[in-house]
Amino acid sequence: MNWTCEQTELRLSDYLDGLLHPEERHSFDAHVNGCPRCTPLVASVTHLVQDLHTMEEVEPPPRLVYAILDKTLGPREATTGWAGFLARLRALASPKVAYGALSVAATIMVVLSASGFSWKKPKLADLSPVSIYRNADRQVHLVYARGTKFITDLRVVYEIQSRLRQDNEIPTEQQGPAPSSPDKKPGRTDRSPQGSPKQQNRANGLGSQLQILASEIPAPVTHFAGWMTGGRT
Amino acid sequence: MRRHHRRIYSICYRFTGNRTESEDLSQEVFLRVYRTLGSYREAHGGFATWMTSVTRNLLIDHYRRTKRDRVTDSLEDKMPVVENKESVGRRPDEQALLGELSGQVQHALTKLSPELREAVILRDLQQLEYGEIQRVLSVPEGTVKSRINRGRIELARILQQMGVRPA
Repeated sequence: MNWTCEQTELRLSDYLDGLLHPEERHSFDAHVNGCPRCTPLVASVTHLVQDLHTMEEVEPPPRLVYAILDKTLGPREATTGWAGFLARLRALASPKVAYGALSVAATIMVVLSASGFSWKKPKLADLSPVSIYRNADRQVHLVYARGTKFITDLRVVYEIQSRLRQDNEIPTEQQGPAPSSPDKKPGRTDRSPQGSPKQQNRANGLGSQLQILASEIPAPVTHFAGWMTGGRT
Repeated sequence: MRRHHRRIYSICYRFTGNRTESEDLSQEVFLRVYRTLGSYREAHGGFATWMTSVTRNLLIDHYRRTKRDRVTDSLEDKMPVVENKESVGRRPDEQALLGELSGQVQHALTKLSPELREAVILRDLQQLEYGEIQRVLSVPEGTVKSRINRGRIELARILQQMGVRPA
């Protein structure tokens, strides 16, 4: 394929971009290597493109951003005195700022309350680091102690429940399976008549035990136990 | 705006060779974009491509308005080369700032005709693809390639005439 100088000039960018077919590239190289006009041309354009690609971007002047903003949004009004102060306050009247301020205020109130700060009788001494640490330490220990006691009391409730269940099952084991009787009333597991001394003694024993246990438990837990046992106590 | 203003300023400066005019033209570009933002459609290409198109149109308008103040030519017309009035008297600190070769390339760029100049700036300085340049210039891709090719060759010849050795 014969390659001319005009073709070299015409397809030079395709050559630099690697867009020539292999046959065309071969013809191009063969012509350029032997042509005194095309060899310096291809070399100079190749170097030029490399220089252009590595040239740094021109830095704009710093004031350009503000000049653009002034041109598009209008010049900023210089506000001084009360007008400037009110303008700045107005800028704070946005939902984002309000939510942020509320969150910060709520956090401060929670922290101060946890640190033992009294809102009814505030004292500056309560805000000292030593008193905040002492109050926080006391609160932590108090919460831990109350939590531990609550869990221990729950164990007592479970024991009460299990004892009541055992007591209900004992009469059935001692007297064997009850004979079928059309008059058998549901809920009764022994043949002793309702309200008999035996039954009454057992109930009294259970009651005294529960009273001893109840005296050790605070009121909310006893109510909880009563709810769990179905109101037997 | 902060993302695009460097690029827009760079295009304006490479085209005009003058910092003051580049600042003014950059502000005009953003003002025009701000006013005509409602007319932007994604079908016309990306937002950056649209901004480049607005910049290019402003540069051409500016060039035509100030054409009577200068004489530029292309080597293809075989007319004597006349110094571009805009780039005469560049400050020494500007020259040092740009770097010697970069300053010479910038000087040579302003000697190209506007059609070839914008094609070389968009391809070799802004690294745009042929398709993007086609959308910016609103000409066929063949014309884009032809302008880029002729621009590169003419720029190399101008630099050779200036006595600038290739790196």
